[in-house]
Amino acid sequence: MKRILVVDDDTDILNLVKTILALNSYAVETIADWKQLNNAIESFRPHLILLDISLSGASGLDLCDELKKAENTMHIPVVLFSANVEMAKRVSECGAVDYIAKPFSIKDLLVIIEKNS
Amino acid sequence: MINLRNISIQNKLVLIQVLTSVFVLAIFFTGFIMIDIKDYKERKVKSIQSIAKVLAANNVSTIQFQDNEAAKDILSELQNVAPDIVRAVITDTDGNTFAQFSKTKADSSWFDLGNKTFAFEGRHLYVTNPIVNAENELAGHVYIDCELSELEDMKSKKFGIAGISLVVALGCGFLIAFIIQTYVSKRLLFLVEKMKEASETNNYRLVIKDDGKDEIGILIKVYNDLMYQVNESQQRKDEFIGIASHELKTPLTSIKGYIELLNEMETRQPQQIFIQKTKESTAKLEHLIADLLDVSRINSGQLQLNIEEFKMDELIDESIDSISAGIRTDHTIIRNGTFNDLTVKGDRQRIEQVLINLLSNAVKYSPPRSDIFVSSTIKDEQLIVEIKDFGNGIPEEDKEKIFERFYRARNTSVHISGFGLGLYICSDIIKRHNGKIWVESGAKGSSFFFSLPTIKKSIPI
Repeated sequence: MKRILVVDDDTDILNLVKTILALNSYAVETIADWKQLNNAIESFRPHLILLDISLSGASGLDLCDELKKAENTMHIPVVLFSANVEMAKRVSECGAVDYIAKPFSIKDLLVIIEKNS
Repeated sequence: MINLRNISIQNKLVLIQVLTSVFVLAIFFTGFIMIDIKDYKERKVKSIQSIAKVLAANNVSTIQFQDNEAAKDILSELQNVAPDIVRAVITDTDGNTFAQFSKTKADSSWFDLGNKTFAFEGRHLYVTNPIVNAENELAGHVYIDCELSELEDMKSKKFGIAGISLVVALGCGFLIAFIIQTYVSKRLLFLVEKMKEASETNNYRLVIKDDGKDEIGILIKVYNDLMYQVNESQQRKDEFIGIASHELKTPLTSIKGYIELLNEMETRQPQQIFIQKTKESTAKLEHLIADLLDVSRINSGQLQLNIEEFKMDELIDESIDSISAGIRTDHTIIRNGTFNDLTVKGDRQRIEQVLINLLSNAVKYSPPRSDIFVSSTIKDEQLIVEIKDFGNGIPEEDKEKIFERFYRARNTSVHISGFGLGLYICSDIIKRHNGKIWVESGAKGSSFFFSLPTIKKSIPI
């Protein structure tokens, strides 16, 4: 079972994504506070991180950049998640593999997760 | 009839200055000429009158002695004294001609002076003087007819000079007015140009530099202040639209996601129908928010194109497929016209957005069971896509306005939801691709066209 870590400051979105992914046989861990990101990665060891861009107090793009620079996390594929399509398109700048624009369709979400995890 | 309002300020200023100077000069010249003529006439009367007096004094004796010949001799002397005297007559007390001198043939008729001692008639000055003898008795009259040929010469000469002076003044006035007006109208025209630019490009940050303290200077200052305010409110509005639509997206994501989940799980009726209705409304809402975001991007200059090469035909077919899948009414979208295996450079996603928008408009405004035709042709290195519907058409007065934002066609029998942003966004996207978008419409329906510059790689099928 693939493990997916979802980071978003909106708990409604977290619950939604968790439900969808759980229903499609993924193990899901969600965090609303980005500061717990490293702890979560260590304990959960995700196959993929779904990272929201506009987090309260931090930019998902910067976090992604840090993950890609750190030796122990650089191998984990990151998919950006944002309501701002223009921002989300900057995937290559921070080393993310893909992006999902909000609002998303379940089909698109599953295809992208499946492809990259 | 020329409407004064429609003459440019530039020409108005020139016209005012030239007309004023010509008018003033004309009055001035006429006045002077009139005074000159009056002067001349007074002098002429005096000199002829003194001649008449001399003649009267010299002819007292000729009348007394009935010496016609002597009188004639005296009269003929006039030719040397005053060559413009054409006729001189001496009459006795009964008014009979005693002696006469005439440059032309002798004429017994005479201009009736009445009680006056002189009179101007036509080009002639008539002067009379009584002949009074030593006993202070009236012995007869001297009549002189003087031709005013000199006056006519003088008149034509003076009016000629005045006319030439007027023409010269007109020329100078025109030149001066032209130089002065350029200073005045240049600033005005510059202001107008900047205002036009601002309204056409929606760039309200244009500030005009002008140190003038005159009315135009004030106008420019007011314009700058106004633009600052417009810019402020525009920015605030765009920010608001941006933030608002962004914030709307988050709950919309939840709604859309859960509805989809529900859709997969719930198979009972009528729950399934309700889910479908909710899905449709969610899709509409998503569309509206996307449009609002696009408009705020357009206005804040953040709409960027991801230019790539793509096959237009494929994109048209894809768009038709995606629209057809969503159509509940029984419209058929038919591709016809020339099929060109053509590569275009542009933002594929944005062009698709235009196609989908035009197609969904065609579906929205078409009567049930009518077809919609899509065709593409190449003309003058431009790829032209036409989307033709058989709706009610667009009234002539709306044709330009439909591409404005928040504009919605009136007189439609059905309520069409939306903000009226779709065509505005389409128009902006096409313009950014250096293309054109336009509509042709009649009673039998509308055709929306857009053109894009091509890269020629055509292998016509």
